[in-house]
Amino acid sequence: MLFNPKALWAILHILAITFVSASLLSGARIGVLEYPFLLRLHTILPQGQVHLLHFASAWGLTTLLLIYGALSTLQVFPKKPAQWLKKWPDNYHRLSGLAFKILLPLLMISGWAMSLDSPLIHRYPIKQWHGVCAGFVFLIVLLHAGGYLVHQGSNAIKRITRPIKQFTLPLMMSLLILSLLATSVAFVTLKTLPHSLIVATLSANDHIHIDGLANEPAWQKAQAITINTQGGANFVNGQTPIQIKALHNDSDAYFHFSWQDPSKSLVHLPLIKTTEGWQVKQQGFSDFDERQWYEDKFAVILSNTCEMNAAGTAHLGAKPINDKPKHWTGKGYHYRQEGIVDLWQWKAVRTNSMRLMDDNYIGQPAMARTGDRRYTAGYQQDGKESGAYKMNWQWFYANKITPKRLPIHLHDITPYQKVSSKDLPWVLPWFDTQPYHKQIDNYPVGTLMPSILHVSNQFEGDRGHVRAYAVWHQGVWSLEVFRKRQTHSTKDIDIMDGICLWVAAFDHSQIAHTRHTRPIQLDIP
Amino acid sequence: MKHSTPNVLMRLLSFVSVLLLIVWLVDYQHTPDLPKKSRFIKLNNQGQPMPQWQGPWACVLDTQTGNVWENKTDNESIHDALWTYSWYQDHTGVENSGDCYFEENRCDTEDLITRANQQALCDIKDWRLPTSNELFTLVNPKPKTGKPAIYNDYFPHTKRGDYWTSNHNIPMTGVYAHLKSGAMAIDFIDGMMKPLPYRNAAFVRLVSSTNKKPQH
Repeated sequence: MLFNPKALWAILHILAITFVSASLLSGARIGVLEYPFLLRLHTILPQGQVHLLHFASAWGLTTLLLIYGALSTLQVFPKKPAQWLKKWPDNYHRLSGLAFKILLPLLMISGWAMSLDSPLIHRYPIKQWHGVCAGFVFLIVLLHAGGYLVHQGSNAIKRITRPIKQFTLPLMMSLLILSLLATSVAFVTLKTLPHSLIVATLSANDHIHIDGLANEPAWQKAQAITINTQGGANFVNGQTPIQIKALHNDSDAYFHFSWQDPSKSLVHLPLIKTTEGWQVKQQGFSDFDERQWYEDKFAVILSNTCEMNAAGTAHLGAKPINDKPKHWTGKGYHYRQEGIVDLWQWKAVRTNSMRLMDDNYIGQPAMARTGDRRYTAGYQQDGKESGAYKMNWQWFYANKITPKRLPIHLHDITPYQKVSSKDLPWVLPWFDTQPYHKQIDNYPVGTLMPSILHVSNQFEGDRGHVRAYAVWHQGVWSLEVFRKRQTHSTKDIDIMDGICLWVAAFDHSQIAHTRHTRPIQLDIP
Repeated sequence: MKHSTPNVLMRLLSFVSVLLLIVWLVDYQHTPDLPKKSRFIKLNNQGQPMPQWQGPWACVLDTQTGNVWENKTDNESIHDALWTYSWYQDHTGVENSGDCYFEENRCDTEDLITRANQQALCDIKDWRLPTSNELFTLVNPKPKTGKPAIYNDYFPHTKRGDYWTSNHNIPMTGVYAHLKSGAMAIDFIDGMMKPLPYRNAAFVRLVSSTNKKPQH
């Protein structure tokens, strides 16, 4: 026979052990983003660009399942006669094998649905199913391996390793060809992976007003694509579909993003007067992971390259960079090994009233500074000449703060004391306030006050390159964005044919945003 | 192959024990890194050292040089970072050509020095303008993106602009030649020294050589 079936089975089994282990461990690391208890496994979880490892192991496992299925159909492996209920160990092993045969395909299907940003992930809680399947696979792996070890002792290990000695040249050549084939298919898949967004051409007579409405005729002609994003805090099942349109002319680019968000969240870290003094209403802000008292946000990454994994910027783990501080909550950092990607952040309170997106970038990990409690690695703000918002506390403490400033007129914050205050702008203009002094702090206990002080109308300089405005209507945010295609800033990416985008929505959460796998490649005619 | 019950039980026990041992060995409790030792120490209004990640702070002690620096603010006090001053000291320079809120007749460097000493900021009464060499010790060639060339984590309100030093009587050249002499400033955009006419409005960061070594 060309192949020794036992040797073939042994190599497939060892590959299965490798791919399942890599999938489970990398999956658990990704799972830390939403299930922090998994961080307790940190010691054995991989760090860094874990999504790539997860994708590669999933690809390997899928290929393996297909090969195993084909070989089983061809009856390459000899079948044992069924002896149900005669010997308990055989029945036990058959049951665990059956569990694998059910769970692994489910795991693969749910995983690929997420990887391909399938519409299914918006209709069903696919991510949760994927996690549950992975949990069961982990359990079955333990029961399967444990069962054999308990049943056969050290013979179980010999049984899966001994046949490897019977490798033949044709078998090795066949496996090599199969591996090359699988790698080629994976490469082609990766290359054809991006969503394509055709950027419609804007005529000289078309004018776009950045008001969030996107009701100009030019928008009606633009192609819309919908990206199903998942994994964000506070969204229903963590998911929201994001619709994108784009327009361009020789010098300008316009984008329209709209996404479902049942709650319009503007109450951003409000200040409340207590018997002890002023306090910031927060639940996780002191750990840089607020998920309750925070504004809605939206982020866009633009990159000249189209790698998976947010343009290769997502590095997961408690300490993904050896010589840099641990991530505060152990989740990981955004940074690039080389070059930069552009990062625009729209903030429903802090930047919407400035009619801007905050123009940031992701570069190489920044120097850690001993005076800064929070380290953000590659995520940095572009420089600005002037203009800003400031938080209204002299220094943030979780239990008590002293405001920088108080309103000059009490009536400026009277509307914030009402139940309907959640629709107010939650911003105080700097010049409607005065420096804080204890003598003028006569506000009654329970008084609420915005924590954002607007110093001027807009950022000036690099950080103010992206004009944007959004409106919320019936559970949908509609965000219109404008930027020059070339800004000549070293911290910006030129908007050209072939660059890639990623989008993320935040539902009143500081960092827990939705994500998608496949990049969105601009097709500019 | 024999599968006697005692054998199987022993193996089961061993397997479960090994699993529990692994769980115990790999269990990880995440705690963020503690602050690292720093060249700079924050001082409160009374001149007492503060923990690195607390604030607000009034002064900064540089443990390399022993100098204590005024920390600028955004609270409209005399230490507000927005205020500018013309260079004037001991009847030399130009009086009251800077912009501030705390003086009726606009501001010069002597006004800030007098006020800071009257206030005994950080329990110090010998505040003065830094020499060029002293101020240059604060220049950081690797600041945060777009921020002034200083240690931004300890001097957060620093402006991207010129800061006066005490070095004066410097001959003016070029378009300023007719003004004859001026004082040296450091531009915190690029950290370069730059002679300016006394009448120019520039920022100021006061210094003191009072020994404020922290007692640990």
